[in-house]
Amino acid sequence: MKPAAFDYARPRSLSEALELLARPNVDARVIAGGQSLVAMMNLRVASPGLLVDIARLPDLGSVTEEDSTVFYGACVTHAMIEDRVGPDPSHGLMPKVAETLAYRAIRNRGTIGGSLALADPAAEWPCVLAALDATAIIEGWKGKKAVACKDFVTGIYETRIAAGEILAAIWVPKLSPEARWGYVKLARKAGEFALSLAVAVRDPARGYARVVLGAVDGPPLILDAASRLCARGRPDAAAARDAIAADLARAADRQFDAFRRSLHATAALRALTQAIQ
Amino acid sequence: MSAGDGSTGRGIGASVLRREDARHLDGRGEFVPDIRLPGIRDIAFLRSPHAHARIRSITAPPGSKGRVFTAADLPRLTPIRVVTQAAGAKSPPWPPLATDKVRYVGEAIAVCVAPTRGEAEDLANSIEVEYEVLEAAVDAPKVWRGSRHLVHESWGDNLYLERTIEGGDIEAAARAAEITVTREYRMNRQSGAPMEGRAVLAYRDHRLDEVVVYASTQTPHTVRVALGEILDIEQRRIRVVAPDVGGGFGPKARLYPEEIILAALALELDHPVRWVEDRTEHLLTCAHTRDHHYKVTAYADRQGKVLGVDTDIIVDAGAYGLWPQGPYQEANMAGRTLPGPYTIPNYRARTYTVATNKTPLGPYRGVGRPGACFAIERTIDEVARAVGRDPAEVRIENMIRSEQMPYASIAGMRYDTGDYPASVRLCAELLDMPAIRARQKQGEADGRLIGIGFASFTEQTAHGAAEFASRGASIIPGFESCTARILPDGSLVLMVGIQSHGQGLETTLSQIACHELGIDPDHISVRHGDTESTAFGFGTFASRSMVMSGGAVARASRMLRDKLCRIGAHLLQCDAAETRCEGGAVHGPRGSVTIGEIAKVAHLRMDGLPPGVDPLLDMTATYEPQISTGVFSYATHGAVVAVDPETGFIELLDFAVAEDCGTMVNPMIVEGQIRGGVAQGIGTALYEEIPYDAQGQPLAVTFADYLMPGAAELPAIKIGHMHTPASATEYGMKGMGEGGAVAPPAAIANAVRDALAAIGGPKGAEVNETPLTPARVLAAIHKAKQKT
Amino acid sequence: MTAIRFRLNGADVAEDVAPRLSLADLLRDRHNLTATHLGCEHGVCGACTVLVDGMPARACLMLAVACDDRDIRSLEGLRDDPVIAALRDSFHRRHAVQCGFCTPGMLISARDLIRRGKAGSEAEIRNGLAGNLCRCTGYTNIVSAIAEAAETVKTQGNAS
Repeated sequence: MKPAAFDYARPRSLSEALELLARPNVDARVIAGGQSLVAMMNLRVASPGLLVDIARLPDLGSVTEEDSTVFYGACVTHAMIEDRVGPDPSHGLMPKVAETLAYRAIRNRGTIGGSLALADPAAEWPCVLAALDATAIIEGWKGKKAVACKDFVTGIYETRIAAGEILAAIWVPKLSPEARWGYVKLARKAGEFALSLAVAVRDPARGYARVVLGAVDGPPLILDAASRLCARGRPDAAAARDAIAADLARAADRQFDAFRRSLHATAALRALTQAIQ
Repeated sequence: MSAGDGSTGRGIGASVLRREDARHLDGRGEFVPDIRLPGIRDIAFLRSPHAHARIRSITAPPGSKGRVFTAADLPRLTPIRVVTQAAGAKSPPWPPLATDKVRYVGEAIAVCVAPTRGEAEDLANSIEVEYEVLEAAVDAPKVWRGSRHLVHESWGDNLYLERTIEGGDIEAAARAAEITVTREYRMNRQSGAPMEGRAVLAYRDHRLDEVVVYASTQTPHTVRVALGEILDIEQRRIRVVAPDVGGGFGPKARLYPEEIILAALALELDHPVRWVEDRTEHLLTCAHTRDHHYKVTAYADRQGKVLGVDTDIIVDAGAYGLWPQGPYQEANMAGRTLPGPYTIPNYRARTYTVATNKTPLGPYRGVGRPGACFAIERTIDEVARAVGRDPAEVRIENMIRSEQMPYASIAGMRYDTGDYPASVRLCAELLDMPAIRARQKQGEADGRLIGIGFASFTEQTAHGAAEFASRGASIIPGFESCTARILPDGSLVLMVGIQSHGQGLETTLSQIACHELGIDPDHISVRHGDTESTAFGFGTFASRSMVMSGGAVARASRMLRDKLCRIGAHLLQCDAAETRCEGGAVHGPRGSVTIGEIAKVAHLRMDGLPPGVDPLLDMTATYEPQISTGVFSYATHGAVVAVDPETGFIELLDFAVAEDCGTMVNPMIVEGQIRGGVAQGIGTALYEEIPYDAQGQPLAVTFADYLMPGAAELPAIKIGHMHTPASATEYGMKGMGEGGAVAPPAAIANAVRDALAAIGGPKGAEVNETPLTPARVLAAIHKAKQKT
Repeated sequence: MTAIRFRLNGADVAEDVAPRLSLADLLRDRHNLTATHLGCEHGVCGACTVLVDGMPARACLMLAVACDDRDIRSLEGLRDDPVIAALRDSFHRRHAVQCGFCTPGMLISARDLIRRGKAGSEAEIRNGLAGNLCRCTGYTNIVSAIAEAAETVKTQGNAS
């Protein structure tokens, strides 16, 4: 399967990239690692007219830190995170997520920004970044805008990135030394997309706790009752089960079949338990 | 004269390292897409998006004449016709390019030619087709009779063939039964999915006045037969070559419309044309496999001795029959294999091969056996549970004992040699059953449930004339051929009609010649897969190559040996009876002469030949085993699983095979075949499925949806060997290539059954459908809990 | 058409490519480097794995145009590599090859595991091979061959 024909441009700066995206009557699309996009184009389920390659823009490829935040350029690869290139704000959560994401050959080229911007419902980063209370920095002609990752994904393959904008960076607040997390990915084989994904983060020193479900056929789902229970930090399996069930029942817009609902409940409980222990 | 033997360590029984490895490890394998020819144009097909539709019109874009072809543009294409002798069988003609109707998603409608594949796909996408969409016949058990939606209108129903196999008196068994166990089983549709898809490269060779077809096929000679018939060309003007083939497993042992279309295009256009199947095309249109429904009733006494088995078997065979054998053998094999390695005295199998608006069904490692094994082995376990006994014990008690061999099964299989109960015991030993039982008693800290399960089976191999005739086949792959040629320098070439695509036959066949001739495999070439350089043979499938082709190599080698000894005796001035052929030379009482020296005489100095002996050292032989109903390998597989009762996820902790394939030519390669087969069986058991929706749309057409096991999903596979030679083959060899794939689904399902034995009370939970997905496991657990 | 310059198996190359040409097709059709095989063209099977800037990547998902200024190596360019040599030897002796279609990608991924020190245990190797499907061998011999080659490389001190 070969893609339909398209044009290709490799801008030398972010503003040149924005300019290319702004051209009228051109169906332009940003490409970074291409691990999802080229596969879709090979299958002809995506056929952009112009690819704007940002993979090697100098500002987008590094991991830096300042005070209590770590800044990831959008084109930081999953492998860089797996290999702990640069500081890790997440006490090992992000490297652990990276190491079970797809396969090494994909991770060498696929990027955290690309994953977040595509917003595949079963992808890991949208869920994990929402759980870490990260912020997405979007660049456009009008300037930068910051969007909390918990609000970033609005639907299946839909995000707060508007036409002509580029996701440029992701800021992740550093977890305190005593923070704990739980991560559960339920997939039928290594490297596969998850059938259910659950992340629980508990950082009492910052008064922060959040439990998020991914692979929920839509934006990541924040479990409010479970998050409150997580904040309290006392292990109580029955209460946790009830809280999670209530959260899932409240998610009226999601159509879970019995099997997926059951998996989500189990994943959430296990992640929560890991974070509390 | 006496034979050379494996005492050099390079003949029969030696784990000689493969000569095939060098080119593949160096990146110099030559698969069809690797072949370079000037002027190749690439092909893409326009394929039906509908499962069932009438074609009202096809409009190619303007200016595309000579680049877009429909059936109307290629009158040379006549329908593929499977001819069968089976009574009552229906066989639909299959136009290589659809004419008035399409009958499955993916059926080819038009073929497009362009400088690159991408441009050919662009062309295909620009063709407009007007369809009248019809309702699809999708659910085989519901549509085979009485459906308004007929796949082939003239039939009146959707039944290719209905056939009953019976023996004894099943009604009497039912009356005598103290225990009756009835279950339904489903082995879902899947793909063979070799890593290399199909590919065809065709061109006209004007010097030799032939059309040359390179194809990723397991059966080049029979493809030539088909091309000759369908395109009405004498076979002497067709050459078919299977170069390196990246896995076959059965789906590539059938003729495909694409092979015919490419050959026709090569004749029509004066440049080479190439089609390389992409993965979606493969999952859509290369033969689908398995897709069996079973209903089984076992009648037993209260010890668990089976008195009779009654079964209905439905095979969902798709829209057309794949040439040459059609879809009939799947149900036939399932019906005749279901009695398994057991002394079941009363039996009835009513089998139905059903047409649906789906991709045609074809053979895949094991063919009808994995489904039949699943059905009987799950049932034996349930009989054991019904009488409160260990399934391994009940299995052994029902088995045919070695003293009873040869044994004619109630379904007409003639088992030749073996000790089936010993394989069960060996398998349990390999898995350390007492340790597993102890672990189960202890329980797991993470709450998972451990289970151990077994499945035993026989594998009919190297079956020939009698077997295929009984299936109603009109092409009988009953023999293999070998031309063994010693060249003027004494090096040896074996030219064989099989096609090695991973089985290492370039190495193992040379081991047989080494055994007979004393020539080291390093001085032997094996040529296969090319109609140009080999005598007619049927190809590699049905676990036949070692026995059939090995037997032909043995015969031809012995004929050569006899001549070498006659010439050698003449050169040594002794009697031929005093000579022996060993270590690359013929030895007499007073000296030796090398094969190279003899070869020189036979070619370049024929004045040195004894009177009455012609020049050349060139022998062609055929071989069929003395018993053409097959020689039977057998094995017991065992699986240890950990089931997560909250998620339904299954982890395979251990897997063992206790097998017997008679004399092994190359034990290393035998083990490689077993492990590869087991991995595929595990794929069937846990991962692989192509579901269809109610409109006949297949729902797994990329590797994102079609899951295959990777290294992380499999344990190291343990193997134990037993050796009961066959009585009717050269060296006592039996075929064994498919066995690995036969029993894993049953062993794993039985292990899961064991793990879930206490769910919801003593009846436990069962999963009787493959693949055993987490959803199916959780549903079974939920159902079992609800009953209490 | 876009002009690109890149390093291919140690040699500098300059050519014009259509944007939709994949690295896999560039290698195979333009340069006759057919060791890189196409098994799925959506990044799952691993048969097309090559080295891009020294790291394994899917040639089927890499656009040729995106290879501008990069260092590309296919199996053909690793014939003198000592880790590949150790792997070829152990794959041969352990019968880790059957049809050969997955083999080039498997070797490149295995080399990467050994060089990154991720071939220390059977479990580690199996996880590391998640992105390389084999349909013939059942993986047992591939895993043991990689473990053996890793030992050889460690002993020779060749891992860099």
